Amino acid sequence: MAAISLAGLTKSFGDVTAVDHINLDILPGEFITLLGPSGSGKTTVLRMIAGFETPSAGTINLDGVDVTMVPANQRDVNTVFQDYALFPHMSVQENVEYGLKVKKVAKAQRRARALEALESVALGEYASRKPSQLSGGQRQRVALARALVNRPKVLLLDEPLGALDLKLRQQMQFELKTLQRNTGITFVFVTHDQEEALVMSDRIVVFNAGRIEQVGTPQDIYEHPLTEFVSEFVGTSNVFSGAQAQSLSGGLDRFSVRPEKIEINSAVTHEITAQGKLKDIEYLGPLIRYVVDVDGQHVIVLSQNDEQNSKDLANHIGHAVTVSWRRDAMQVVT
Amino acid sequence: MMSNLDRISARRDVRRAASLLAAPLLWLLGIYIGALAILFLTSFYTVDSFTNQVIHEFTFQNFIDVFTDHAYLNATLRTLGVAVSVTLVCAFLAIPMAFYMARIASPARRPFLVALVLTPLWASYLVKVYSWRTMLTPESGVIAWLLHPFDVQSPGYGIVGVIITLSYLWLPYMVLPIYSGLERLPSSLLDASADLGASTLQTMRDVVLPNVKPAVIAGSVFTFSLSLGDYITVQIVGGKNQMLGNVVYQNFSLNLPFAAAVASIPVVIMVVYLAMIRRTGALENL
Amino acid sequence: MATKRLFTTIAIASAAALVLAGCGGSKSDSSTTASQAAPGGAAYAGPVGAGEGAVNILAWPGYAENGSTDPTVDWVTPFEKATGCKANIKNFGTSDEAVALMQSGGWDVVSASGDATLRLIYGDLVQPVNTDLVPSYADVFPGLKNKSFNSVDGQMYGIPHGRGANLLAYNVKEVTTVPDSWGATFDPASPFAGKITGYDSPIYIADAALYLMKTKPELGIKDPYALDQTQFDAAIALLTAQKPVIGEYWGDYLKNIDAMQKGTIVLGTTWQVNINYANANGEVVKGVLPKEGATGWSDTWMVAKDTKNINCSYKWLDWIAGPTANAQVAEWFGEAPANQKACALTTDPNFCTTFNAADGPFWDNVYFWNTPSANCVDGRTDVKCVPYAEWAKAWSSLRNS
Repeated sequence: MAAISLAGLTKSFGDVTAVDHINLDILPGEFITLLGPSGSGKTTVLRMIAGFETPSAGTINLDGVDVTMVPANQRDVNTVFQDYALFPHMSVQENVEYGLKVKKVAKAQRRARALEALESVALGEYASRKPSQLSGGQRQRVALARALVNRPKVLLLDEPLGALDLKLRQQMQFELKTLQRNTGITFVFVTHDQEEALVMSDRIVVFNAGRIEQVGTPQDIYEHPLTEFVSEFVGTSNVFSGAQAQSLSGGLDRFSVRPEKIEINSAVTHEITAQGKLKDIEYLGPLIRYVVDVDGQHVIVLSQNDEQNSKDLANHIGHAVTVSWRRDAMQVVT
Repeated sequence: MMSNLDRISARRDVRRAASLLAAPLLWLLGIYIGALAILFLTSFYTVDSFTNQVIHEFTFQNFIDVFTDHAYLNATLRTLGVAVSVTLVCAFLAIPMAFYMARIASPARRPFLVALVLTPLWASYLVKVYSWRTMLTPESGVIAWLLHPFDVQSPGYGIVGVIITLSYLWLPYMVLPIYSGLERLPSSLLDASADLGASTLQTMRDVVLPNVKPAVIAGSVFTFSLSLGDYITVQIVGGKNQMLGNVVYQNFSLNLPFAAAVASIPVVIMVVYLAMIRRTGALENL
Repeated sequence: MATKRLFTTIAIASAAALVLAGCGGSKSDSSTTASQAAPGGAAYAGPVGAGEGAVNILAWPGYAENGSTDPTVDWVTPFEKATGCKANIKNFGTSDEAVALMQSGGWDVVSASGDATLRLIYGDLVQPVNTDLVPSYADVFPGLKNKSFNSVDGQMYGIPHGRGANLLAYNVKEVTTVPDSWGATFDPASPFAGKITGYDSPIYIADAALYLMKTKPELGIKDPYALDQTQFDAAIALLTAQKPVIGEYWGDYLKNIDAMQKGTIVLGTTWQVNINYANANGEVVKGVLPKEGATGWSDTWMVAKDTKNINCSYKWLDWIAGPTANAQVAEWFGEAPANQKACALTTDPNFCTTFNAADGPFWDNVYFWNTPSANCVDGRTDVKCVPYAEWAKAWSSLRNS
């Protein structure tokens, strides 16, 4: 049975439909990511699951029980907020204990559990501090401990890593993934960062304009995007359409090719080849990015940093080049 | 490293800041604090009993009079009681009002509600107090009429009337800081509290109230001090009761030193009050 | 941290100011012996010449109207046109406030009641007035001239303006038996408890003294403004016993009018003008002069000792005591005019009768406000009387107990 089951879920704010008939089953123990640009409805879905927003239509089932009209404080889910939402007047310890306190857990027991939770995020010695005395990453972990100490069936995470710098974010991504695997709690993770989604998720749900574009594993989403939106939002893509697509592919109306699947002036050419003019070369460190003009279409090519190769090509800017890719690298999109 | 040029311009900045601040500082020290000091000093003088002119002769007599006559102790206690009650009534009314304004009303309507709360401040103080005098009229006033079905009598003119009227007058000064305090409170805190299982009441008690406490204290500085100094409202709706302000008013032209001694009581009370709340950090909220 | 520094700054500044003020203070020690003997220097010899262009007037509300209260009520603008003296007017609410304003200086003339006049004279704040330079003075009722509150040793210190008695008001519906004694207001078992009023000023002690003068002859009170300690204590005891039945005291005449009109006050001291206003929409109260008589006021226009506008001041004195202006002001304020010829000029032909303008037995029983001093104003020399400062202190204490 699904841990969370959304059916026909809709939310309107006045004239604006933020979430439009979403159907989704989330499995127990799954790390699922709701991915989409801002305003795509992913956070609203999360807030409806938590109970902070009431759906305009549709139902939400938790463990097979309809909780659509159940208030937030009576749902067995916990949330980690984007701004952490730690209570500024309480110490770290009191913050973590709060959920147990309102559930009337005995004092000694809740102290022990809170401390345990804090230790699991390596903050045991910060228990008596105020949130304002902690760094961003530490606050993040307190928020996590505060949610996990309640042992929820589902943990909702609303862009929890957005405010952290890159290094810390990568470290936390790893820690969260490990934590999820060890606890077996269902994680519903909201982000607009496609890379983060690819790294962490069992499954990704791509949102656009209040609707689901595609649901699938990271590989599915990346390798086989079903729509132009997914192909361009997750990674970058070269989308060909119309007559050009027809002639290149020999029959496809519209397809996309990932830049790293395209070879430029290589010794071995693949099934599909095209002639173009090299417009630009960008040096990205491990990769080199080429921009090739193929009949007015800018085609992006990414290849491994092979110094010799790039040096040779540098002299070719403005000259004709050949690009080629394998037939199975093409993905039909709508 | 600082170049010579930087150093010169820094020095110029200091000088410019000093010249900008000189006038307000002089005003603060000379006019404001100086006046307070002179008030306090005057309270140690005495007057000519016939012409009422101040005689510069040092005496503690005024303070002895203030502290030995039960009348003035009563007036002090009455004034304190009124100030505390007004502050409590204002806080009691302002917290739900401000909560509605900052949290429940739609953001588009908030400026309108703030304007509504401020509206009474545009009317003349005397007009408002005389309106309350009319409403509080025993037997025939609006309050008496409203309370009649419940078999309760109008408080009429007296201390209760004073507390009601002053609470009305100073309510905006309590609502506004609490409103801005609540508006600054991130809504995620309320979500988080509910998320952790707290009921609305628990959220109010454990999350909202502790976070607006500094704002309530900031508001109380206004309601408390304004009530301490008031003497007109009590004359109009207070029946035969008097507050410290009336004692000052009654005596300032006849016996300025004695009036000064009485006037230093609320000043001392305020200083003690401010010192007490300074610990809470609420002064930063003013 | 910032607040801590502010507190320190305040403390240092206060200490510095104390030291400075302390140094300044020692210079004026000589004022301890305020003269009680030689008031105000010589009167203006005249003649009254061209005006200085302005006169600064300190007046009871309603005594100097320039049309700003009511466009039809204006005797100041004609004065300005006639004399070329621009009138700058400030109103005061109590006699005490008037004295304080005169002490601060800058005023040329003041309308002073009897409880302020002597303080102004002996405070060296006003000068004697040469009545020969004020033609209107000739028409002033003789009963207002050379009184103890407006003259010293036969020398007038101002020009009489008008007079009135503090009447006993009673609500015609609720108080069915017409009261004939102030005793009705001093009865601790009064059926009207909580609806009785008193005048909110130390001078109200004289009302209690007047009642005792007539009902307790053994106290030997001869003048309600000359009370020795025993007599004074008896008056205070009477007022203390009265306080429980008082609903509210009035100092602001609008409050008194409002209370009488609404019936929240049904008994107590008032002014004729208040009764007139309260009855504007039908009669609710009547006023009587009780058998004990009453306290009252007789106001005098005085000239500041250090005036820079002496000619304009004398022109004002003559104008306000003249029949036309005096009739207007008396009728507007509701008191008896000082000028006999004013009675012919009032819009209400019965006005002077209503307000008992002429000298006569009505005024024999009216004890005009006076300033109590240690030297008893009734001429006794064997005792010290309680001075006004003590009256004020006792009143303040009584009101706050």
